Amino acid sequence: MLNVSDVALTFGGIRALDAVGFTVGPDEICGLIGPNGAGKTSIFNCITRIYQPDSGTITYGDTDLLTVPRHRVVGHGIARTFQNLALWPQQTVLENTIVGAHSTATPGLLASAIGWPATRKAAKQVERDAWDLLDHLGIADLASHQAAGLPFGTLKRVELARALISRPSLLLLDEPAGGLTHSEVDELGDLILGLRRELGFSALLVEHHMGMVMRICDHVVAMEFGRTIADGTPDEVKRDPAVVAAYLGTAA
Amino acid sequence: MSTLIDKTSAARPSGEAPEGSGRRGPLVILRGTGRYRGIVAVCLVLAAGFVAWGGTLQPFEQGQLTRAAIFAIAILGLNFTTGYVGLLSVGHSAFLGLGAYTTGVLVVSYNQTALSTIPVAMAICFVLGLLVGIPALRIRGLYLAIVTLALGVAFPEIVARLGDLTGGAEGLTIRRTLLRPPEWSGFTLGEKDQWLYWLTIVCLVLAFVVLRNVITGRYGMAMNAVRQNEIAAAASGVNIATVKIFSFAVSGAITGLAGSLFAMYIGSLFAEGSFTVLAGITLLIGLVVGGERTMLGPILGGLIVVFLPYYTSDLGGGQFSAVLFAIVLIAVVFVAPDGIAGGLGRVIAKFVRIEARRPEGRDGGLLGTRASDPEPAADPGAGR
Repeated sequence: MLNVSDVALTFGGIRALDAVGFTVGPDEICGLIGPNGAGKTSIFNCITRIYQPDSGTITYGDTDLLTVPRHRVVGHGIARTFQNLALWPQQTVLENTIVGAHSTATPGLLASAIGWPATRKAAKQVERDAWDLLDHLGIADLASHQAAGLPFGTLKRVELARALISRPSLLLLDEPAGGLTHSEVDELGDLILGLRRELGFSALLVEHHMGMVMRICDHVVAMEFGRTIADGTPDEVKRDPAVVAAYLGTAA
Repeated sequence: MSTLIDKTSAARPSGEAPEGSGRRGPLVILRGTGRYRGIVAVCLVLAAGFVAWGGTLQPFEQGQLTRAAIFAIAILGLNFTTGYVGLLSVGHSAFLGLGAYTTGVLVVSYNQTALSTIPVAMAICFVLGLLVGIPALRIRGLYLAIVTLALGVAFPEIVARLGDLTGGAEGLTIRRTLLRPPEWSGFTLGEKDQWLYWLTIVCLVLAFVVLRNVITGRYGMAMNAVRQNEIAAAASGVNIATVKIFSFAVSGAITGLAGSLFAMYIGSLFAEGSFTVLAGITLLIGLVVGGERTMLGPILGGLIVVFLPYYTSDLGGGQFSAVLFAIVLIAVVFVAPDGIAGGLGRVIAKFVRIEARRPEGRDGGLLGTRASDPEPAADPGAGR
């Protein structure tokens, strides 16, 4: 269970996050919504240790995430995707996916150099997992294609594969539907629900596409100006006056 | 509210459409198939033929080839960190020099056999690489180049200061008898150059195989990941610091191996002559012209930095040969920005492409979860 409480973050004089708190329960899909600049991605970056909050706590299970080095976060079961894609463009789709498994089967330098049998075996297993995932996400025929030059929506799937191969217990998805058409967004929603059923994970989902948020989330947190302004079921949050005001403005 | 997302769809690149599996054009050869093995076997036979031909050459030509192989090893080392991890090093001449002086000092002052100094030289260069790798944790690109430049500039000065050990500015001469080939090799003292040729080839092959194992494996993928996007690499569990420091150390050790062989080859060491920053830049030239991030590039680079100046000086003497050398280099970089090996690779890829083969056999459901229901029908791919 992810527990974020009282997290504050400033950049110079700008207060990006100001006392943000919420929890994501086991096997729960939690939506994180709010206007642009509300601090949603900042929260992601605090959880994955790219930013160090000025105050507050972030725990996952019994682990205090704020003491975990950046590259160990995924080893605790938290994998993420990025809003504007953070792939390795010169590597193939397959390689991009395989590196995602670095935390579950870390290759040693010496063992790789001499071609140690156990390392080779682990590599085969990771490769098999990667192919299976790419197949499942419908991009297996692009496995040998460089990531550079592929369409945005496809690359979003590559990022999803890279996150999933680490067998996360918590998946952080930063605007997975960004740049997709309406029908694709519906497919993506089904895909996420299907993957959760099959692999079992909880998810924190930053998303502007309200249709998708309302359909697949068990729980929604709304943010504005670095604060949590509503927290509840999708229906409750949708009707919350503060949320309506944040999105549409208050009546004059 | 859905209008909030629609503007983002414009961000989708309108570039090249993904090619399906049914594309026409290059012949696709999958790794691990009989055809692939056949191609590898042909390449190995060609390489072995070239090496054997080198073994029959006259002493001078063979010496040039030995020198090219030594530079190839040094450039292989440089490629490991500068090519794959993207840590620009101008000062790899220091590793070359440190390896050479380790061998020189141990042979001359401590009565060691030349061969036994190789692991020592590599170990010392490994440690220096670890130390130089530390600044690489915080800085990269040109700033790191300046730090490594300082190392390259400092090395000859340090050698001059440690005159008691290194012979200082007068240089360190290793008497030919000290470089006698070991008894078991079957080579006599008179055949020292031939022995060194074969020793260098064995070292080159070993270095090549070891580095290839790393590069083509998952560790190599992580190195590439660190170069292209550190945040994404860390989010995937790659320890950036370890990858950078150890890539620098391995790189230093391999270039130190080249240095050690260089000491045996040249016999007399002058830091002001062989191991200035100019040597570091020569290695970089070899890397860039040969082809960064290719396995073949460093070998071509070694041949180029040894043979190209030799041929250009045939065509014109003195200053003119240097100008000619420069012109040829610029021409190569202009025609093939990714080096000769990269350019060749691009041409070959138009006809033959080598791709990963999907491993056979599956173990139950996705990621080893044994889902009770069979694999659901493949989702129609979004974004395609």
